[in-house]
Amino acid sequence: MTDAPLTPEDAEDTLAAEYVLGVLGMADRGAVELRIRREPVFADRVTAWEARLSGLNDGFEAAPAPNLMRKIEARLFPVPTREKANWFGWLAGVGLGAVLLLGVMVSLPPPQTEMVATLAAKDTGLVYEARHRGDVITITRVSGTAAPAGKVHQLWVIAPGAAPVPLGLLQDQPLILSYPVPPKGWVLAVSVEPAGGSTTGAPTGPVILTAEIGAASI
Amino acid sequence: MSDDPIADLITKCAAQDRVAFRMLYRDSSAKLMGVLLRILGERAEAEDALQEVYTRVWTRAGRFDAAKGRGMTWLIAISRNLAIDRLRIRPQATSDDGLDTVQDTAPRAETRLIAEGEARRMADCFATLEPDRAAAVRGAYLSGLSYVDLAARHAVPLNTMRTWLRRSLLRLRECLDT
Repeated sequence: MTDAPLTPEDAEDTLAAEYVLGVLGMADRGAVELRIRREPVFADRVTAWEARLSGLNDGFEAAPAPNLMRKIEARLFPVPTREKANWFGWLAGVGLGAVLLLGVMVSLPPPQTEMVATLAAKDTGLVYEARHRGDVITITRVSGTAAPAGKVHQLWVIAPGAAPVPLGLLQDQPLILSYPVPPKGWVLAVSVEPAGGSTTGAPTGPVILTAEIGAASI
Repeated sequence: MSDDPIADLITKCAAQDRVAFRMLYRDSSAKLMGVLLRILGERAEAEDALQEVYTRVWTRAGRFDAAKGRGMTWLIAISRNLAIDRLRIRPQATSDDGLDTVQDTAPRAETRLIAEGEARRMADCFATLEPDRAAAVRGAYLSGLSYVDLAARHAVPLNTMRTWLRRSLLRLRECLDT
């Protein structure tokens, strides 16, 4: 059969297709992966082929999978040491003059709920307690006062090396979250935000409380 | 929320939502296990690969773009790429196992393709290819066969196989994009 040369356009596109199809050898695959990372246009060609050929996915029959979540989480969320520096850096970036690093409680033998962390400020007497029962965490203000009018306390969780994720607004009623207990090394933080909470998805006001989770208890 | 619950979960994973991550595993691990088992052939290795797949899913979730494709397509792409990389670094002898699998299961896969409405167009476009070339494309996609494997299987020179497949892919593109 004849092999008329492909147009440059088609040559690019068939290379993307060959990668998606999986027929290339290891060295070629590595070269293509480098291009995917560096060239958005080429990456889009690959994505387009993944979509085109996705009709073949019905050919893969589901198979029983064991629950490997514990092992996967242990890989992904190890006890951090060096990475701690990242969120300290973040806190400094927020402009927090005096970060109070606070006593953090570890899970105690189970009564009804177990302590996750205590977020306390020495100077203002503001204290929030986070307790969990199963995958429900309850955060209660046990001393001090709510944010001033027009402001609200917002709770965040920060994985090592990751950006803060909003968990909810802390008002007079306890905040009840359906959320697993964060592993050791994660941080809970409270910032002061405009009423209704941060609209950017990241803390915008001062961080007034932080607590690092002391021990994994999932 | 969208009409793609898997995509929604991946997006939440990008926001470090671990509950969503567990739900994603619950809802997608059987399918991905099927992908890995089909390509790798060994359960122990497939289970090991499955852990690696979800590790990648969590760390790469931020790169997923729901505007460019469906969540399950993205998950399967990660799984296939991982499994194919593992196949390629295996000693050559083992890759023949995959070849046998193709023959055994390809007709079944084809039947499924035709049976399921979602993939109807795919099946129609495959029908425009010559049967052995359609089989080569399917064998590569579903079983992770390389150009070298395919050339041996179809008893044609490597360059001929490359030409076959490239022309077939372009014809598929034309058919699927219209």
